[in-house]
Amino acid sequence: MSKKKKIRYAFKKDYEAPVKEFYPRDIYLPGRGIGKKVTVPDTMGEFERYKPLDYYKDLLRLCVKCGNCRYVFRDWNRACPSGEFGGFESYYLGGKNVLLWGLTREKIKWSKPIVEVLYHCMLCGNCQVQCQIPEIHHYATEWLEAAREKAVELGIGPMPGQLKMGYHIIKEHNPHMELHKKRLDWLPVSRESLPKKAEIAFFVGCTPSHVQTHIATATFEILKKLNVNFTILNDEYCCGSPAQQTGQRKIAIDCARHNAKELEKTGASTVVTSCPGCHKMLNEEYKKRYKLNLEAEIVHSSTFFNNLLKKGVLKFRNNIGKAITYHDPCHLGRYSGIYEDPRDLLQNMPGVKVIEMPRNKQNAWCCGGGGGVRAGFPGLSSFAASERVKEAKETGAEAIVSSCPFCYINLSDAIEQYNEKMEVYDVVDLINMSIK
Amino acid sequence: MHLFDGGKNLSSRDRIYMQLCAIVGSKYVSYGLKELFIYRWDHLGCSTGMGKCDFVVLPGSTEEVQEMLRLANREKIPVVPMVANSCGGMSTPLQGGIVLDLRRMNKVEEINEDDMYALVQGGITWGDLEGYLQRNYPNLRLAFPYASPAAGVVPCYLEYGFVNLSMIGGCGAEFINGLEVVLPNGEVALTGTAAYAPKNWSGRTVGPDITGLFVGYAGRTGIVTKAAIKLWPKLPRSDWYMSAENYKKGIEIAKRLYKAGGPTLGIVDLGTENYVALMAGAGVSGMDLKKVPYEAEKVGIPDFYGSISMEASTEREMEAKAEVIYSIVEDAGGHITLTEDAFKATPLENRGEGPTYVGTLVQQYYMWYFYFGGIGEYLTALLPINRIAEYYEKTRKVAMEFGKHILFFHRVMFGGHYNGAGILVESNKDDPKDLKQTRKCLMEIDKVRRKLDGVVHKPNYIRARHEVKTGNPTSMKIIQQIKRMLDPNDILNPGQGI
Repeated sequence: MSKKKKIRYAFKKDYEAPVKEFYPRDIYLPGRGIGKKVTVPDTMGEFERYKPLDYYKDLLRLCVKCGNCRYVFRDWNRACPSGEFGGFESYYLGGKNVLLWGLTREKIKWSKPIVEVLYHCMLCGNCQVQCQIPEIHHYATEWLEAAREKAVELGIGPMPGQLKMGYHIIKEHNPHMELHKKRLDWLPVSRESLPKKAEIAFFVGCTPSHVQTHIATATFEILKKLNVNFTILNDEYCCGSPAQQTGQRKIAIDCARHNAKELEKTGASTVVTSCPGCHKMLNEEYKKRYKLNLEAEIVHSSTFFNNLLKKGVLKFRNNIGKAITYHDPCHLGRYSGIYEDPRDLLQNMPGVKVIEMPRNKQNAWCCGGGGGVRAGFPGLSSFAASERVKEAKETGAEAIVSSCPFCYINLSDAIEQYNEKMEVYDVVDLINMSIK
Repeated sequence: MHLFDGGKNLSSRDRIYMQLCAIVGSKYVSYGLKELFIYRWDHLGCSTGMGKCDFVVLPGSTEEVQEMLRLANREKIPVVPMVANSCGGMSTPLQGGIVLDLRRMNKVEEINEDDMYALVQGGITWGDLEGYLQRNYPNLRLAFPYASPAAGVVPCYLEYGFVNLSMIGGCGAEFINGLEVVLPNGEVALTGTAAYAPKNWSGRTVGPDITGLFVGYAGRTGIVTKAAIKLWPKLPRSDWYMSAENYKKGIEIAKRLYKAGGPTLGIVDLGTENYVALMAGAGVSGMDLKKVPYEAEKVGIPDFYGSISMEASTEREMEAKAEVIYSIVEDAGGHITLTEDAFKATPLENRGEGPTYVGTLVQQYYMWYFYFGGIGEYLTALLPINRIAEYYEKTRKVAMEFGKHILFFHRVMFGGHYNGAGILVESNKDDPKDLKQTRKCLMEIDKVRRKLDGVVHKPNYIRARHEVKTGNPTSMKIIQQIKRMLDPNDILNPGQGI
């Protein structure tokens, strides 16, 4: 008989626990692309980001349409709002990959119906996170976005609502059909009372400026109360994200160039944004895609305030007394890897009980607000939001809290549309309530 | 378009389109290229290539399927049922017509905890059913194949899928208690105990059991809209990986394990695989196929790996059983490692760059192997245990001649009473030369299977046609007669199956 090893055995009912432990799902390497994880190395070498569709054509064949993109990996929950809404295979990432493979290999021709399918997507990136094929896991949203640019180039994109939005960004520098001259109407003080230059610049964003002004006001008031030396831009334009995401790149570039100049004028070393879309745009697209000279550090308000909390500058006083659930905005979470800052803030607030939804962090179900879908396909947008509200309600929480003005609008609209009873807050609303 | 002229001058397509819309609603019918391009081909049908279809329809109920089949039968329109759109070439629509994607029929209708079965709709996926059980019935488990979560449960069972409870229950078809089937004429048949007592889905029947008329027929005799499938208690589990120098030696260890009383010993799953499978099964491991040796054992890498999953009710029982397992494997010259230990031994930064033993705990998605080229095909077969190692060695040799690696796996079925083996070959779908070579390679591999008396499993139409020619003539005649009796107009999945 051979020499026996020590006998080892397990005794576990949760079969998947060791695998989940083995493949940690929240490892994010900033700057290496959405969901870039060390556990899924590329096999075809590093690819560049922000390239035209044809650049990715060798990667498109890799999709075997296995359907992993439809499910949260090993959690067996549905992941893709577009697919669940559209029903047919083409609405999931697998189907889109096959269509794009056919288009780039000239097996099928570009057409409006195909482009419509490609625009039926919030670019939320959940499918990409779930796909375990390295190159798709790292670059899928690159080619989904590049496909939209190609559609615009061919004159069959964007969708009519998105085109209108693009025109309005050119004309009035916001996607909300509001007048540019009203952009600072929310400001409780005169623009002139703020310094021209300051260490911190608050990049307000279109939605807090024109629609959800309470987010702008709350952020402003918190900054004031904490005696932060800050200013706002003299003439802020839309960050360009809605245009960029709908393939209208030229409009986005114009916005970026203008804002970069305005930001430079403030002399700020740190730029605080309320909107994760603006955050991603300034932090990634301005600097990396458009290679603009923007040296300031770009931080989302949740990160900025969490740093102040850690330093003891921000102190919560008032009891909020609410059980809440936190909804991760796609641009803040999956795209920027910021999951903990808003949670840290909420968990430290007196009287706040945070209950997680089953699909959270990198697996969060998108609210349906992004990717131009709200303007292009309101039905899909509303479906995604209503599913998220249902999930939030099932946790037993009284309120759903996010840290994105777009999520705020979409979730609030769904609650109203479906007569649900649930409060909606932005993290800054609660911070402001707690320090008043 | 002639959609609004009172129906007098409608083109044939528009007329059918309108009738389909009237049955399932316009949201669930498409004849656009955006759908047809995807549904025309089976994404794992390397040999079968692109087929053709005219409509894709997503029915939502048995009644809608009945209506649709009545229409198709009347108009003699082919109907190809599918759930996942990737089934080794078996779901390629060959003669146009309607692709019936059952994905909307994805509900769990009943879970019977005491008789341990689930009554599910025909389009439910592994992801949906597994998720449902984990959330609502954590004490029950499902027999799961090497599939992605988006693949269909019912088609897998109907086509004898190898599952992770095969050691105790056999192949997927043996997990079926009964079926609800819509026949081409729109009638609904129930099988198993439900055929005699419609609310009783607890098992196959003691009377004539017509379940077999719909099993292994590739959807050619009826559309299965519901299935009652066996569930099992979910007991605490332990998983080990074993390795041996080569397949011949490894199979001897597997034999010893099941001859020691496999299921009695608590082994619920006993699978084996080659080095390529280990690497791929590790979950897209960053493996560079070019660097993988064709004959691993010649460069000192074991080319046999086995996964052993064992269940026990108490820790004492598990320890005692583990002792038996260690003793059998080590006495036979193999190496055994607790899977979790192998996990822990792999540093985070190296995970995915070598054997990671990840597969055994949950299902390995062998399908990921296909991603190297974006397409491929699997050939599965039933072979006597003493032919498995020979099958591996001979098919590996054939593949080497074509410059191809094979992913090889095998599963011990039903306590060792029979064995299933599978071979996956990947191909580059952008490279016509490679596709041609792969097809030739697949044909040669299939010849080896036939020489070794292997029985074809999940055959695509190319292999199925060959089986019809070479199989027992009387048996083949009966199979064809049953098909003709149930589907006289040959509308269901025409050209496919045996």
